[in-house]
Amino acid sequence: MQVSGLLGMCALSSCGLLEFSPNQTLVPAAERQLTTQNLIRLTSRPKQESDTLRFVFIGDCQRFYDEAEDFVASVNQQRKIDFVIIAGDISDFGLVREMRWIHHRLRKLNVPYLTVIGNHDEVGNGRAVYESVFGPLNYSFVYGGTKFICLDTNGREYGFQGQVPDLGWLGKQLADTANTRRSIVLCHVPPTDEDFDPNLVQPYARTIRSSRQLVFHLSGHIHRFTNGQPFHDSVQYLTAYNFRKRHYNILSVWGRRKFNLETVAYAPAL
Amino acid sequence: MRPHFNALLILALCLLATAAQAQNDPTPDRHGPFFLTVQIGGGQGLVAVGGGFWLADQKLEPEVLVGYVPPSVGGRAMAIFTLKTTYTPYSPSLQNGWQVSPVSIGGFVNYTTGEQFFLTNQSAGRYPKGYYWWSPAVRIGALVGARITHEVVGNNLNGLPRRTTLYGELSTNDLHLVSKFTNKSLSLPEILTLGLGLKAGGR
Repeated sequence: MQVSGLLGMCALSSCGLLEFSPNQTLVPAAERQLTTQNLIRLTSRPKQESDTLRFVFIGDCQRFYDEAEDFVASVNQQRKIDFVIIAGDISDFGLVREMRWIHHRLRKLNVPYLTVIGNHDEVGNGRAVYESVFGPLNYSFVYGGTKFICLDTNGREYGFQGQVPDLGWLGKQLADTANTRRSIVLCHVPPTDEDFDPNLVQPYARTIRSSRQLVFHLSGHIHRFTNGQPFHDSVQYLTAYNFRKRHYNILSVWGRRKFNLETVAYAPAL
Repeated sequence: MRPHFNALLILALCLLATAAQAQNDPTPDRHGPFFLTVQIGGGQGLVAVGGGFWLADQKLEPEVLVGYVPPSVGGRAMAIFTLKTTYTPYSPSLQNGWQVSPVSIGGFVNYTTGEQFFLTNQSAGRYPKGYYWWSPAVRIGALVGARITHEVVGNNLNGLPRRTTLYGELSTNDLHLVSKFTNKSLSLPEILTLGLGLKAGGR
């Protein structure tokens, strides 16, 4: 009885010491469906009168736990940040512990954080782990009059079968602009990368371009900041610093499609 | 089924069969060298069963475990085949056949079934060479543990095994270790996994 009690406590508590597989999807209830949890936190903080939305943009925290702690310390010193977005590759190996290690650090942020799945998060059982810990691979939310559309673009992980990214879903999300002034797309693998399904690059760019209220397209994966119009169609594509670069961007959006970009460097803790 | 999967399965079945046969042997060796194991956790299944044999004056225990991960724990059902060896150098005897072993050390290698786990980056067929350097299917790990053992004294076993051991182990694996080596802020408890088990055998 005592043993089973101990097991139950360990399995249910956040100690996490008792693990049945490094690939398990089971996590304590407090660490399940973090996307939903963070969206509840976000929407319970009513947006201030100001039209400007201000958020942190960074990607690829995979196996950078020291940097994650320094990142949290730096972001917590910023003022008027609405939330943080991580452009995929939360984990390096798709293991449950890795996603929890990142969460145990990012939960110390003063603001909610939101993620999108990266290719490393899909390795092994990672896709199922991500769905358990964070939630849906494709999802959208509205905050501050802005629609965020977050989707899985890790085509190589599906063997380039023409199904990922889900262009039908993306098109519908972009077309549904009810009660929003702006849209922003967030994914991990940018359509300019060789890990994006080559047959879907042009259809994807066309779908993105169809939006009349898109501010910009955000992704990670290439571990460096870029800002350009690779399809020469007036659509701005940005990629994020990874955690190792010890830099992040603060993006401010306002008006219909106006935005401002700041770059912040964060130092290692002394 | 893939060849490596078959090989592990056959090895596991042979070992279990041999262990079972030893139990039925009418002219046993006093310390029949085989034992059976049931384990919970340790990254080797919700429950893992298997067995092995004692070597080196019962200090060395190579064994095979077959673990089960149900869909409620793993998303999909998975089997984990583990080859494991434990070395227990010091087992001082107490009264009435009890022994307490403060330290065991060991290592394991295991294979997890499921088409989502590729053996190598190349066998997955969708990645350029060297895209991912590790195998999601195979884990290598190390463990430390402690145990208490009871050994029945005398000839009358009443059908019970001669030796019964209750053990606890803390283990880690290659990928958790790589994470620790590259991050000062990752603490030791963060990379440790608890396993609890029972071994019984001998006559």
